[in-house]
Amino acid sequence: MVAILGISGLYHDAAAALVVDGVVVAAIQEERLSRLKNDPGLPRRAVTACLRIAGLTAADLDSVVFYESPFRKLERVLHWLMRSYPRSVRHFPRALSAQLGDKLWVLDQLAELVGIPRARVRTTSHHLSHAASAFLVSPYADAAILTVDGVGEDVTTALYRGCGSQIELLSALPFPHSLGLLYAALTAYLGFEVNEGEHKVMGLSALGRPRYRELFDKLVTLHADGSFELAPRYFAYEAGGELGFSPALERLLGPRRRPGLTWALESSETDQRYADMAATLQCVTEEILLGLARRAKRETGLDALCLAGGVALNAVANRRIAREAGFSRVFVQPAAGDAGGALGAALLGAVEAGDPRPAPLRDAALGELISVDEARALATELGLHAERLSAPAERVCELLVGGGIVGLCSGRFEWGPRALGQRSLLALPAKVELRERLNRVIKQREPFRPFAPAVLAARAAEFFSDAPSDLTPFMTSVCDVRQEFQVSLAAVTHVDGTARVQTLGAGVAPLFSAVLSQLERTTGVPIALNTSLNGPGEPIVAHATDALAFLTAHAVDALLIEDYLFRRPG
Amino acid sequence: MAAPTPATSTDPRWIRVQAWLGGRWSFGNPRRAARLLYGFARTEEQSQLELRQAARACTDDRRRARYLRHALDESRHAQAFAEHAQELARTAGDLGFPRPSASSESLYERLGELRFLAFVHAGERRGRIEFETYARLLRRRGANTLASLFESLVQDERQHEAYSARLLEELAGVAGARSAVRWARRWEAWRGFRRRGRALAGALYGATMLLVYVALAPFGLSVRLLSQPTRGFSRDP
Repeated sequence: MVAILGISGLYHDAAAALVVDGVVVAAIQEERLSRLKNDPGLPRRAVTACLRIAGLTAADLDSVVFYESPFRKLERVLHWLMRSYPRSVRHFPRALSAQLGDKLWVLDQLAELVGIPRARVRTTSHHLSHAASAFLVSPYADAAILTVDGVGEDVTTALYRGCGSQIELLSALPFPHSLGLLYAALTAYLGFEVNEGEHKVMGLSALGRPRYRELFDKLVTLHADGSFELAPRYFAYEAGGELGFSPALERLLGPRRRPGLTWALESSETDQRYADMAATLQCVTEEILLGLARRAKRETGLDALCLAGGVALNAVANRRIAREAGFSRVFVQPAAGDAGGALGAALLGAVEAGDPRPAPLRDAALGELISVDEARALATELGLHAERLSAPAERVCELLVGGGIVGLCSGRFEWGPRALGQRSLLALPAKVELRERLNRVIKQREPFRPFAPAVLAARAAEFFSDAPSDLTPFMTSVCDVRQEFQVSLAAVTHVDGTARVQTLGAGVAPLFSAVLSQLERTTGVPIALNTSLNGPGEPIVAHATDALAFLTAHAVDALLIEDYLFRRPG
Repeated sequence: MAAPTPATSTDPRWIRVQAWLGGRWSFGNPRRAARLLYGFARTEEQSQLELRQAARACTDDRRRARYLRHALDESRHAQAFAEHAQELARTAGDLGFPRPSASSESLYERLGELRFLAFVHAGERRGRIEFETYARLLRRRGANTLASLFESLVQDERQHEAYSARLLEELAGVAGARSAVRWARRWEAWRGFRRRGRALAGALYGATMLLVYVALAPFGLSVRLLSQPTRGFSRDP
């Protein structure tokens, strides 16, 4: 037996993934267990959970692979602290303390945390981990691989060729020319949190017009070979890739938006201007990604493309790549951000140890199971009603058709930032007032944030163009909602007529699929609004405790955990 | 749970004096008041995280439910503080704050249930005394909205103080509970001392690093002059 544990952490999105004999046994983000959103530590709980799921102990592990090289990263940080002299004065003490006090010793920390000899802990490189996380679980034997994020050790963008179990680097773009950092800087400029608010910028962009292209041309230059350059004076690289715009950016684009202000796009010209900024950013992002993908096509001549890195979670850009870059198939792994590095590291370790490539990833349910017994016992103490159902899908459907919002927990929780039917909050896709209720009362988020539909794969094409595809099972692309269904799917159709569709194939998320089948029988439409089961600022629910806490604190109508329906009294 | 300000004494009179003086300073100016309330929001957020973890780890369903309810209260408090902080920041013309976030110390795992609970109890007591003091101070100043906020929170803190005392007695008996609370107060004071020590060490580290940074000036300037700007694709970056 060969068991390899992959780890990402000490930046944001700590995670652990375990591959045993070439099978992805478990992959878990630490935030689900620690309840700390984007947990930046080491994935202590996730490691324990992965081993528990596999029924292994630390002694059974052949190696632990950390997803990047701390030494190369230190070199880049020191170089940029000096290169940004004297602007880096404020960041210097913090960066040095983080690198020398913590990150440099990560391999020793991991040996201690997992409980294995230091000699069995090793590293790989950040972008190679990303590449492996996408390609080695993709349905393709050969593919071009494009990884794009803020920054790894010293690379921001990389292009690989994947062939069987081998991954070969073709070309890379060095720091500081980074699409991830451009997006992060503008995310901060628009008043959102970096590494958290990027998807909000993407949602906002649909409400604006890309009319600031001339200004953005000063920020970033696109070249014919697919590369691009950021203009250094507008960014704060010395901040180490965490937040980074300089006062020059505000002089160019105008004052930044205050964080936490309520959005009023209809009544505020200023907010509309920020939406236009977001639209311009999205437009530039798409053009850069398209340029990179076209280069990948030219260099490899292959038909399939795998995307990874935080930027690969940009579902709107992914659609353009799938349509316009010349590839016939595109795949994005569900945890495309840094958490996914853990999976890539484990897979690289497994391949190196001689394991075969794992089967293509069909299902993201790689976390821990939910316990009905635990939920029942806790519900009694919390004074919640619990009812065992003989036909849970029928009952959920009945509640949804009656205008209800219902939580659904079933099986192992998902890998990645999307709720895919294991820990989901469901509603009917037609009623706009339900969307408003979800946005304002339950999720307490910006009014422009769209909700996504989930549909049975077999009928997806009737309602959405470009669905199903390799991108739709994990909600990593958007599709056009067919004109004739835009009213009946109003709650899940964004202002631009698109939706971030999830398609459910046979055997995936069985309880959720049963609910969709029942909706099909009852309403004729096998579609539900599917959003993540979490409150504002919280990670998605993992265990029964989190699920019942959610039910207690939020105005949802019911919560289904396997075959038990829980409701608040009264 | 974790008291809003670092503890240096557990004597209620001293806590009141500290809170009164601190409150007078902070609530005299909307910018300072906003920062104080935002700090409370983060503290409450951290408390809810610790209590959630306790609810997950505890094996007794009744106590798990108590921790979970308490966590939900803390979450509500964090939100209330954050909203008021945001409003005050805007009044002061500041940028405002992001959603309060906190890190976890995994106290339940580290301390064990009895000591964790004693720590919760001590923190709630301290928080209740502080909030009562702030409420009185704010009423006297005519800041009735904020005073009402603290008054409503005092009710919750009283409940938390009472339930944690009950659970402590159930777990360890009267004498054991007293001993655990004494330990928690000592530990809380020690943490306060260490926090101040860390702040001092941080300031010294910052000053030392500034000197190092200045000393690195020739090196920094030569890197700026000599290193070539990187652009375009490379096979071996």
